[in-house]
Amino acid sequence: MAVVELPEWAALAPVLILAGTALALFVFDSINPRSTNRTVLAGTAAIGSLVALGVAVWFTVAGVGASGLEGFGAIELFDGQLVVDQMALYFMIIVAVVTALVSVASYDYMEGHTYQAEYYSLVMLAATGMATMAAANSLVTILIALELASLPSYALVAILKDNRGSIEAGLKYFLIGALSSAIFVYGISLVYGATGYLQLDAIATQLETGAADGEFAYGGLLGLGILMLIGGFAFKTASVPFHFWAPEAYEGAPAPIAAFLSSASKAAGFVIAFRVFTTAFPLDATSALIGVDWTLAFVILAIVTMTVGNFAAATQQNVKRMLAYSSIGHAGYALIGLAGLGAGSELVMGAAMMHLLVYGFMNTGAFLFVALAEHWGVGRTFEDYNGLGQRAPVACFALVIFMFSLAGIPPLGGFWSKYFLFTGAIEAGLLVVAAALIVNSALSLYYYSRLVKAVWFEEPPAARDSLGQPTGLYAAIVFAAVMTVVLLPGFGPVVETALDAAAAMIA
Amino acid sequence: MNDWIAIGALALVGLLIPLGMMAVSYLLRPSVPETSKRATYESGEVPTGGTRIRFNIQYYMVALLFLVFDIETVLLFPWAVVYLDAVESDAVSLFEILAPMVAFVVILLIGLAWAWRNGAVEWAQTTRQVDAEGNRS
Repeated sequence: MAVVELPEWAALAPVLILAGTALALFVFDSINPRSTNRTVLAGTAAIGSLVALGVAVWFTVAGVGASGLEGFGAIELFDGQLVVDQMALYFMIIVAVVTALVSVASYDYMEGHTYQAEYYSLVMLAATGMATMAAANSLVTILIALELASLPSYALVAILKDNRGSIEAGLKYFLIGALSSAIFVYGISLVYGATGYLQLDAIATQLETGAADGEFAYGGLLGLGILMLIGGFAFKTASVPFHFWAPEAYEGAPAPIAAFLSSASKAAGFVIAFRVFTTAFPLDATSALIGVDWTLAFVILAIVTMTVGNFAAATQQNVKRMLAYSSIGHAGYALIGLAGLGAGSELVMGAAMMHLLVYGFMNTGAFLFVALAEHWGVGRTFEDYNGLGQRAPVACFALVIFMFSLAGIPPLGGFWSKYFLFTGAIEAGLLVVAAALIVNSALSLYYYSRLVKAVWFEEPPAARDSLGQPTGLYAAIVFAAVMTVVLLPGFGPVVETALDAAAAMIA
Repeated sequence: MNDWIAIGALALVGLLIPLGMMAVSYLLRPSVPETSKRATYESGEVPTGGTRIRFNIQYYMVALLFLVFDIETVLLFPWAVVYLDAVESDAVSLFEILAPMVAFVVILLIGLAWAWRNGAVEWAQTTRQVDAEGNRS
């Protein structure tokens, strides 16, 4: 039991801290409009996200939202519009960690940029949206949180105003985002029309009574609505069929923003997908009503997404695009968590949550290495990276860790989460998915090791000058690398938390 | 599965109606090509200049600010209506009814202050005005 008894709304503290940090940055910028005091701004953003992280970890350890004897039970706020449970806190931790890494790394990357305060406050606003997505428990709050996360992201992708690539990427991201938002809202309206509720638990109750007494007349409408909701999630998580914005947006965006979008934004997309499909659409009742098992859609999406992502990544020449396609592939791996729900085991969804946490470190780290390379100005293709290992051994060693962890080589973090996904998929009886996971991981080893080979074994095209060692970027990269490795011996508590959270969602 | 058939039929009819209308008018209409038919507004003003005029971005700024405060009014209004009843009843304390709205308005004020300080409400100047000012100082 906690020493101090906090009011209920205090459960949202991680979100409130992120929002407060964004407002503090706005106030600073109002007082000092043209300030480019990077230390204060990046420091405020980093400290704000670290405090949010600390509070989220504290709540998790203290058992806020946990069921059972020592926990407080899931805390429902505003009539169940928001809910703080273990899964919400788990994903708030992921978002806060990635935000902190990105803020620290941006200190060097955004050097010389005119709009410093705007950049960091937009990052914090997007992080607020993502953390709210983790707690949203009604289709309305989900939509609002999703837009709060998306709108700053569009601006952030296009923030390099003098860079054509950045503007183009921002526009493409915005257009596809607007399209998928429209589809998502339409899906919400169809679900509302079919059930009469927006709150997720209420939808589930309505569907269960409907399935029990057989008087539910809108099965088709509901099915169509669910399909459109999947479209909205696919955009946010960069999965097929709304994946094609990812390589464009990541390539044009500042590299820390690409890291932010591909790790935190993707995790936030997955948390709402997990929550909506486990809470609002109970499998038996829903499949009785619409005549199709919705896990089937995720089985197909998972296989197609990981295959498309990995095969496209294997053909890329540009490192950032390769990472973008690999992030699509990883969305496919995480989708297994939803595909395997049919068997009713929490292992597979817990595994997907673990994968998203590890991914938050290794993928952010990999993109931050690209940020470092852009900071050095060495170029964008694999050849341009040749021989960097001789000049910057520490960062390049970290890169090796990220690449091999992304590929799933033991004993790094990425191996364990993939291993859990694999056993989870087998346990759920999805042999095809498990086979696709193995084949794709094997393929991914090819292009990840290609980058490692370029960095360490190829000769540089011309003699390089010594490369700078920007403190912020180095700190973020090294921290991400250490966490990718250390997360594994410390995997015990993480595994437990993820499995508990998944079990609480399914039960 | 009946519902799915109905949805499919709806989609089919929705497609067929416009296509059918276009096909019927294609078959029925006489073909009289004439240059004046190619004009942008066949029975309106003769257009002058291109369509790609540049609007001042300031219009969008003002529109955005207006939208923010419009929404604020929409939220303030029902709050103000229930405010007195809420204060008199014992169900909610004064703090509970007042604090959320104050927080909301403060957030908006921070936004407005930021926009003001960053020049969103200053009317943009033409290049000539900027030059003139540059000469003056």
